[in-house]
Amino acid sequence: MSTKTPSKADILRPIGTFSKKYLAVYSVAALGLIAFLIAWAYQLEKGLIVTGLGDWGTGGGATWGLYIGAFIWWVGVAHGGIILSASVRLLGMDRYMPVARIAEMTTIGGLSAAGFYILVHMGRPDRMVTSVLGHFHITVNNSPLVWDVTVITAYFVLSATYLGLTIRYDVNRLRDDLPDKFEPIYKIITFGYSEKEDEIIQRMVWWLAAAVIIMAPLLLHGGVIPWLFSLLPAMPAWTGGIQGPMFLSIALMSAISGVMIISYTFRRVYNWEHIITDDIFRGLLLWLGFFTLLFLWFQLQSVLNGAFLGPLNTQHAAEGKMAHPAYQVAMTMIFLTLVYIFLQAIRPALFSKTRALIASCAILAGTLTEKILFVVEGFFPPTFDIYTATPGTYFPSLIEILSLVGTVSLVALLFLNLAKLVPVVELHAIEHLTGDHGHEHDHEETTKTETEPEVKA
Amino acid sequence: MSTDDESFHPLGQEWEDELETMLDDTEYDSDLGMEMAKDAMRVTKGELSEADFHEKYHEDVMDEFGVDDRPTEEAYEEAKKNAGGFAEMLKSFDGDGDESRRDVMKKMGVGAAAVGLGAWGTAEGGQPNVADESGGHATEAHREGDTQWGMAIDLERCDGCLSCVQACASENNLDQGVNWMYVLDYEDGGADTSQNRLVRPCQHCTDAPCEKVCPTTARHTRDKDGLVLTDYDVCIGCRYCQVACPYGVNYFQWDEPDISTEEIAADPENDGEGDMMVDDRDRWVDSRSPRGTMSKCTMCPSRQDGLSGEDKVGTSACEDACPPDAIQFGNMRDEESDPQRYLDNPSRSRTLIQVGAESAIPEVAGLEEDLADADADLESVLEASQDLDEETLQLMKATEIVTENFGEGDADSVDYEQNIIEIFDVLEEHGLDLDSQEVLVGLDLADEPDEDEEFEGADELDAQNALEAFAGTPASNFRLLEDVGTNPNVAYLGNEPGPNAEQVEGPVAYEDTQYERSDGSEPNLVDNRKEEILDEGTVGDAGVSL
Ligand code: SF4
Ligand code: SF4
Repeated sequence: MSTKTPSKADILRPIGTFSKKYLAVYSVAALGLIAFLIAWAYQLEKGLIVTGLGDWGTGGGATWGLYIGAFIWWVGVAHGGIILSASVRLLGMDRYMPVARIAEMTTIGGLSAAGFYILVHMGRPDRMVTSVLGHFHITVNNSPLVWDVTVITAYFVLSATYLGLTIRYDVNRLRDDLPDKFEPIYKIITFGYSEKEDEIIQRMVWWLAAAVIIMAPLLLHGGVIPWLFSLLPAMPAWTGGIQGPMFLSIALMSAISGVMIISYTFRRVYNWEHIITDDIFRGLLLWLGFFTLLFLWFQLQSVLNGAFLGPLNTQHAAEGKMAHPAYQVAMTMIFLTLVYIFLQAIRPALFSKTRALIASCAILAGTLTEKILFVVEGFFPPTFDIYTATPGTYFPSLIEILSLVGTVSLVALLFLNLAKLVPVVELHAIEHLTGDHGHEHDHEETTKTETEPEVKA
Repeated sequence: MSTDDESFHPLGQEWEDELETMLDDTEYDSDLGMEMAKDAMRVTKGELSEADFHEKYHEDVMDEFGVDDRPTEEAYEEAKKNAGGFAEMLKSFDGDGDESRRDVMKKMGVGAAAVGLGAWGTAEGGQPNVADESGGHATEAHREGDTQWGMAIDLERCDGCLSCVQACASENNLDQGVNWMYVLDYEDGGADTSQNRLVRPCQHCTDAPCEKVCPTTARHTRDKDGLVLTDYDVCIGCRYCQVACPYGVNYFQWDEPDISTEEIAADPENDGEGDMMVDDRDRWVDSRSPRGTMSKCTMCPSRQDGLSGEDKVGTSACEDACPPDAIQFGNMRDEESDPQRYLDNPSRSRTLIQVGAESAIPEVAGLEEDLADADADLESVLEASQDLDEETLQLMKATEIVTENFGEGDADSVDYEQNIIEIFDVLEEHGLDLDSQEVLVGLDLADEPDEDEEFEGADELDAQNALEAFAGTPASNFRLLEDVGTNPNVAYLGNEPGPNAEQVEGPVAYEDTQYERSDGSEPNLVDNRKEEILDEGTVGDAGVSL
């Protein structure tokens, strides 16, 4: 373990520095996003015919494809991220405090990407406001898609508030060390701040976290998102209560992996070995293993329930899924990752950050593949079996594939920009780390604020 | 409730008995009350329409109470809006609001209203009742109203010629591969040699999942006639309806449609008042959809609204085009409509089409000429007429025998009945009594009476047997995916595709059939839109599939 002491200067380092490498990464990300924006403009010009999508049934295609698959994947990343950070705050998992803000920012990034996908997916995005909001009072009663949009918006607001409140605290404390050129932004962030509010905000954050944790399985990624599919009678591959837990496990897997990759990057670039410690990675890796196990268990449940003496249409669906090479590759990858995680738990020597990184990438690739397959495969064995024998074809077009590059770039840009503006590791985490070692004088005060909300609750 | 409890009311026999006693105490007819109660329950279950209920009892109620103040549909809707809807309704049976509810109930003698309408209220109350301001329902369990357009399709009569697909594509100016109407042949495994063919329009479901999931109310059910339509001005192209429809009948407009709205409006063949695009509510729901929105079979709202001429109300382009009349379009809530008559007695309807249609019926003038010098007995008549043989006459007569109110009503098939009546008139004029023992027995439509018996006239069973022997009876009568709960409004006669059904080539290829559009173009039909049309627009089509 590192012998360095975490300090304010550490978390301020990304803001103060400006390197060629940063510029290079920034340019690549910007190019990625611009490339997709151009592709999207072309799609708007030509219509959705530029995608590989088609009409299921007689038309021989998949109506929804990569756009929707990636949409639910990003929502998953986002929801997982906020659950992660909420657990840190709510369950007192202080050990992970240094990555809590990264998780929150991932949430904001994920939701932005998901929201973007909604627009990209639509045939007439220009009507989103008039058509959806104009009839909201009616459609909110029945349409799972409207529930989705509602909940996603609600969570965006919730996460942004959450993040904003903690940033406010930091900016106020660190104001003197922050660059003057962003003065107006800091002014807005800290508008009307007074020390007295700290305690109230701590409590608010705690309650927000509580809301997130409680609503996550009921409404969020264990609820409305899977309901988008599981409530429909038309596609047996989508139906069933197992989709709730399944989606939630995927969300958590993807979010943990995402946070690990981003944390690893920050740690490497800014030498934060003493802040985002090996210990954090080991812990996250174990959690990842736990959720991966759950995920594989749910997969087994759903596949076996269809394949073994299931009604014909669910049998078709289950068999189609299992036989798909992409599914097999994805599941193998995820399974091997699980094996690795358990082995390194037994034999700590097997742990290395690079391996943890590879595991994260494998999980992310696996869950994204599973999501896209889940959406597309749904169309091929429908309840109306007569179409099952003549399934359509689907392969994402270049524009659709480019959308992945575009949204990943979007999220990267978000981090690159935020990193120059506010600390990505919160001041509390530093106070906490140093507090634990008894170095800083504000130890007393810090632990008090830390524990207070829980006592109150 | 015990299993042998035969009460009609969910509260059980006890409640019913109590009710009956209560009714007995009054001066009014308790049988009528109980009868009405039963039917009111049927209304709540959707087995009987509200209008039919009203009609059935109007006279009785008039007789019994001298006044029928039972609420009309509008009043009922109004009452429902007021919190005390139920009490209000009870009051309407008796203007005096001072009496206690129990008294009112007794007096009106219609526990019916109490039992039935009470349950009615609860059945309705459980549903989120939201009507969109522009007259479409966002959700509903069972739509009220007298009209529900739908179809009966006789799959055994369909010969797979694709005329309906062609007519639909032409009427609606569809892009290639947008097969709102679709006909497919299939094999079902096993040794089944009977006809396996499915004709698949949109089912215009009463409980349409496509409508429930729509985030914009673009997909809606028209209040007046139950058509499930897409408002092209509202749709955002999310394709959720397409995903939720279990029948796969939706077609998205992936790019700019081939035919412009100007071209549709200027179609030289359109001589109606409408432009084939907006319906009588001024909503754009008809013809091909604009880019980025969803389309599907509409069941021709321009026609149903009278915008294509009065004679086209109650018809659809596919129905008109079908040579063997396998498609029967009409009001599913009217027992006298074409589809309902067809479903009621398929053998009769099949025969009627084959002997009564203009193309089949002997020419009146020719027949008169043939008969000019013939005697008036059956044998001579049949011998003299060139186009009328014994079998045809037998079938004509048999159709008349099994049909109530033959030649009356406004269903399309009534024209055929009238054709037959014309022939009958010629024969009767000639002196042949078609209801005589000689003719009926001669045509095997009545039994020869025993010596001491009187002739009893035509035998319906014989007539039915003759029709069935000629036209056969359909293998089955079904609606697609009935257990999914969509309440489709297309009823089928013939083989239902099983779970192992597999599409095979039909007698006529889509590629070999052309259709004409408003701009004069005549493209061919396309079966697989994805491969033949859409893939061309895909950027970087990999040629492989997930
Ligand atoms: S068949 Fe039913 S669910 Fe499908 S589009 Fe038509 S009305 Fe909607
Ligand atoms: S595609 Fe249009 S009609 Fe269909 S659900 Fe979406 S908004 Fe509604």
